[in-house]
Amino acid sequence: MAGFDNFAERLARRLARGTSRRSSLAWLGIAVTGAAAIPALPVARAATPAHGGGTAGRVPVTSGSEQDPGDRNSCDYWRYCAIDGFLCSCCGGTVNSCPPGTEVSPITWIGTCTNPADGRAYVISYNDCCGASSCGQCLCNRNEGDRPQVRPQANNDYNWCLGTESSIYNCSLAVIVGVATEDAG
Amino acid sequence: MVHSASLGLAVLAGAMFGAPALGNNPPPLPAEELMQVETLPADYPKSWALVHDFHFNAIVDGRIAIIDTANPQGSLKGFVRAAQFANMLYAPEKREIYTSETFYSRLTRGERTDVITIWDTATLLPKGEIVLPGGKRQQSVTYTGTFQLTNGGKWALVANFTPAQSVTVVDLDGRKVLGEIDLPGCTHIHPTGSRGFSSMCADGSMISLVLAADGTVASSQVIEKAHDIDTQPLFGMPAMVGQTAWFVSYTGQLRGYDLSGDVARPLPAPAHVGKAEGGSPQWRPGGWQVIASDAAGLLYVLMSPKGREGSHKDGGTEVWVIDPVADKRLRRIDLGGLATSIAVTREANPSLIAARPDGQIDVFSAADGTLLRQLGATAAFNPTVITVVP
Repeated sequence: MAGFDNFAERLARRLARGTSRRSSLAWLGIAVTGAAAIPALPVARAATPAHGGGTAGRVPVTSGSEQDPGDRNSCDYWRYCAIDGFLCSCCGGTVNSCPPGTEVSPITWIGTCTNPADGRAYVISYNDCCGASSCGQCLCNRNEGDRPQVRPQANNDYNWCLGTESSIYNCSLAVIVGVATEDAG
Repeated sequence: MVHSASLGLAVLAGAMFGAPALGNNPPPLPAEELMQVETLPADYPKSWALVHDFHFNAIVDGRIAIIDTANPQGSLKGFVRAAQFANMLYAPEKREIYTSETFYSRLTRGERTDVITIWDTATLLPKGEIVLPGGKRQQSVTYTGTFQLTNGGKWALVANFTPAQSVTVVDLDGRKVLGEIDLPGCTHIHPTGSRGFSSMCADGSMISLVLAADGTVASSQVIEKAHDIDTQPLFGMPAMVGQTAWFVSYTGQLRGYDLSGDVARPLPAPAHVGKAEGGSPQWRPGGWQVIASDAAGLLYVLMSPKGREGSHKDGGTEVWVIDPVADKRLRRIDLGGLATSIAVTREANPSLIAARPDGQIDVFSAADGTLLRQLGATAAFNPTVITVVP
């Protein structure tokens, strides 16, 4: 994360120097920075959901590949190491596709998660699916590395349904975008 | 027809279960008045609180629950709407509640409207609104720092995030937007001086802005090294003691900022919640609204025995009471289970309000930690922020 944090510091300094808002927005979009894929319910993981939510009692959904192990409907699935929100695989979508009737947010939070099968660190993009109301299923919140809102790219409390037609949040994806390089980790 | 049919059934049921013959019954219940709607006292008692229900399973339909913490039989007094990552302000002197909200014309799609709604504290009906331009209001899990008052409560300040950051200045009395202040790299609004605010910035500085009578920036000053995000990241919401904002860090350091003047003044000596045995691996603050103050200036910090990197939103099981000026922990309150948000009432004998992850709300004596009453999960699905009556 150190490299990413430095990247973020440069962003902050650039912003502080008075970069125009239009250009900073474009820059953010290109960099695919930003914080967690979504609104975090405080203590979502520790809590007993009042209604909906939770991942217990579900039929496991697996990849069928030994190299991508685990239940995609479980908060413990390796790709969800920095996710925050409803798992799209429980909402009519999959781990990498949004449910019907929603739109993918182009601005996302990137996490780096280690795949227990091959030991590699993968870059995971936690895009939100937007334009339909809260999915309400499989709420999952992990806060390792989460930092205050003053550091947006490291905070998972923002609604990242930004740059979409609608800012209504539905669920979050966890898409592999590549293998993390040494200096990115 | 429906009426007479059900009456017939009722008579039959009475006969079947051996009820006295109709002739021996006391007089029937009198007809009741139709079309009644309750109202609340315009000035809320100090045992009341406003509980923000984030309503995660339908974020578009968030609410503010007004509760009476002294009445376990009927804690919920009423709601006002707080739609789509809303924020709320309570202005008792004006007998008003303000919500900053976002709407789409077709609920989840269509034209976006951001608006401040002004609610009457007695009727809980809207009495006005101010539309916010640009569709840029910051949407996040509830933080108090995204919607604040200044200029003696005449103005509201609304944080924007697109993700470019700015603050919209709103004249509540005049029901109009005055302008927008670009604030790149800085976040949250902490009212400062008589007409201005401060924000924390991503480079570890803080910026204080004085506003002119027309809502523009009259002057600003950067306070370098005001906070340390890498080693002492601060929970976003402070507890206020007068005009001093007390923040707690993820590991328990307490930092005070005097916001009474035009420029924020970080207090020179941080305090600390202290340490304790029994943590696994250690005691740390944990939850959402993790720090509260009482009228005497003591701080209450929600603490988790399972403190580690990433545990800071997992809730806590104890509240530690700190005198921040003496830098001394006075007592520990066992909550008997996990809580996520706390607040302390301004009653003569103050109560500690603790909201649980399942929406249950328990009320403790702030003085000695005795459990006074349990309100149950009767007010909010996802209580995020508790605002007490000042």
